[in-house]
Amino acid sequence: MGFLIPCPNCGLRDVYEFKFGGEVKAQPGSEADLKAWRHYLYFNENLSGVQEEWWYHTAGCGDWFKLKRDTATNEIIED
Amino acid sequence: MAQTRPLWQFKEPAKTYDVIVIGGGLHGLAAAYYLAKDHKIKRVAVLERRYPGFGGSGRNTEVIRANQRAPEILPLYVQSNQLWNSLSAELEWNLMVWMKGLVGLAHSEAGLNAMRMRHETQTRMGIENHLLTPAELKKLVPALDASDRAAIPIHGGYFNPPGGQVRHDAAVWGLSKGAHRLGVDLCVGVEVTGINLADGRVQGVETSKGAIAAPVVHMAPGGYSSQVARLAGLTLPVVTLPLQAMVTEPIRPFLDQVIVSELYFCYLQQSLKGDLIMGAHLDPWQSFKLYNTFEFSAEQAYFILQLFPDLANLKLMRSWSGLCDMTVDGCPVMGRTEIEGLFIDAGWGYFGFKASPACGKNMAEYMATGRCPENIKSLGLERFYEGRMVPETYIARS
Repeated sequence: MGFLIPCPNCGLRDVYEFKFGGEVKAQPGSEADLKAWRHYLYFNENLSGVQEEWWYHTAGCGDWFKLKRDTATNEIIED
Repeated sequence: MAQTRPLWQFKEPAKTYDVIVIGGGLHGLAAAYYLAKDHKIKRVAVLERRYPGFGGSGRNTEVIRANQRAPEILPLYVQSNQLWNSLSAELEWNLMVWMKGLVGLAHSEAGLNAMRMRHETQTRMGIENHLLTPAELKKLVPALDASDRAAIPIHGGYFNPPGGQVRHDAAVWGLSKGAHRLGVDLCVGVEVTGINLADGRVQGVETSKGAIAAPVVHMAPGGYSSQVARLAGLTLPVVTLPLQAMVTEPIRPFLDQVIVSELYFCYLQQSLKGDLIMGAHLDPWQSFKLYNTFEFSAEQAYFILQLFPDLANLKLMRSWSGLCDMTVDGCPVMGRTEIEGLFIDAGWGYFGFKASPACGKNMAEYMATGRCPENIKSLGLERFYEGRMVPETYIARS
């Protein structure tokens, strides 16, 4: 089974309408070195559990938004 | 003669080992096998949470090949092909290796150009490959619709002879048998809950069956790599995505090669049993849940029917999914970690099956000798910090 993603503009829509934008990470500051930036770009916590993540509604409103999802069950966690 | 001796037996883990391998998939089993065989290290344990081959080893679509793009990693795949072809005799266990060759299809000039580039690389590295016109493809694969009537007609393709199929369950069983006969302890139902460190060195692991000490620990956990690495405080450059695959009912032999469409990103091959195995659809979001979607089956069926319209009335028998830990450059993470004695073989995404014997052999050599073998020296974790990617653009990306 796929699952549904609650878009803030369009409501509950099929997950295949969206692009996954990865887990929410803290961006390094401008003083950070190259290693910190590469860590930010390429490395992920890749949690099996609840995480905050970015989604983009490709086939809908074209908005980026954040939501919380359990990656072990694909359940959306409402705040 | 009936076989009366058990092929392998599972054991309870002892308190100490020379090497602990986390993960009883093909990569872990192969590493344990070659540690015992090539390097005579006998006190080796393979710790598996579920059962051997539960993860990607039993969920892949059984394709082996050595026609990727990056020259840094091609020798590893070539070595793996050679090992697949000698392992059946060595293990005294039929892995059903079928070197039927791969046929790749391009549906545009750009797609064909990408194939020309890989063709040059492969030819220079001694890997046999042939570029074909649609007419030549039709002659090689009679069932293929190479006509202009197709929605997106076939523009050209390649035939890559040194590739094919290996029965993946047989590989798991064969390596289990081989490792067991060489004295490796296969411990199933043992979950690793911690990795013990002291002074920057690995000391052993905590498990659901108690602590086990070892100076060398090897992580080969497939799609669960981030979870295992986190036990040692390490973060990996991967995201775990689910991949789906399916098979049809068995039919008479009609397809002698593995077919890969690089536009549709689909694989099709006929197993020895006669069923058609299709796959290579990666859902482009992180998920540790194993699931199948109607969208996947419908999309794959559509793609396959574009190529082979005669298959229209076949029934689908089963579908399944597996977890793929994908790196950003499409190449794995192999070698040492910053923790002394802790090794890793991960980031294999959905392309780890074909490489498993060579991965085991090289990782065993690295762990036993402390020297990084030539074939994996570009694949270390440090490449992401050094900006030294191995761009394997051939890997289907979402």
